[in-house]
Amino acid sequence: MQEEKCSHSWKMVNIAYGFVITEKCYQTDKVATYFTFEHKPPLEEYREGDHFWNVMESAQSFRFDLKCTKCGLITTFNELMGLMMCTGCDKTCEVDIIREKLASDRTWVYVAFGFLPINERKQLTQEKILILENYFNQRRKSSKSRIKIVSHEIVKNFATCYAEVIKDIDMLCLTAPEGE
Amino acid sequence: MKLQEIIDKLDLKILTNIEDKEVEGVFISDMLSDVMTSAKPDDLWLTVQTHTNTVSAVNLIDMAAMVVTQGKVVPQNTIELANRYHVVILSTPYTTFELATKLVGIGLKAT
Repeated sequence: MQEEKCSHSWKMVNIAYGFVITEKCYQTDKVATYFTFEHKPPLEEYREGDHFWNVMESAQSFRFDLKCTKCGLITTFNELMGLMMCTGCDKTCEVDIIREKLASDRTWVYVAFGFLPINERKQLTQEKILILENYFNQRRKSSKSRIKIVSHEIVKNFATCYAEVIKDIDMLCLTAPEGE
Repeated sequence: MKLQEIIDKLDLKILTNIEDKEVEGVFISDMLSDVMTSAKPDDLWLTVQTHTNTVSAVNLIDMAAMVVTQGKVVPQNTIELANRYHVVILSTPYTTFELATKLVGIGLKAT
């Protein structure tokens, strides 16, 4: 009952760093992602049933929970693989329609996405997405702009989506300092 | 301290549109994971990263601005994305350490 009455004030807790591994089976073309706490990301190919998995990408990432500083409620986010900012790449995508509608209020739209394959892995519930949105809005402190977080389920096509994923990969700066 | 005052005092180069705002502190890291876990709103973020996905991290946390150090050249697509989302990008030829020292010198500190 305490949970329902509390106007939660969220804090990020239980932060643990690791890697998000993306792997592909070249026999079935299936792509899967998972999180590992190993200090060095695994690179080995391995066989699993009908699949022969090869690592395509590993990105440093982290896991966390959110804890209410008022009532102590902890919400876990083990199903969250990452966040990406909608950049409006497809006018027919529902995420972009929301982005267009909210842009004049300076409300920026982010997509919370889970692990692959989507239909085989537990995904974030709408309730958890709302908690995540509240957390980032509380953290921002700003009255001038807000964050709206939506589910990946409304992205029209992930394969052609140009949203900016927040991840520590492809970050190598390829430009030399000015004057050199 | 106001962002414009910091820009003027340290001769930072403005790469995007700018909205003056209060800067509360300084955050240093080249990892977006660190920004997500530890940066605070209205911080000035010192980094050598210039990838477009830095804009999504700055915007999410509502940091005051990011300052690209060591004279790294920020790609045009990063600047364009930043302008669309009102993210301020500055640059300086100073190393991150040199800039941090100068920021402390004018009264800023880690939050």
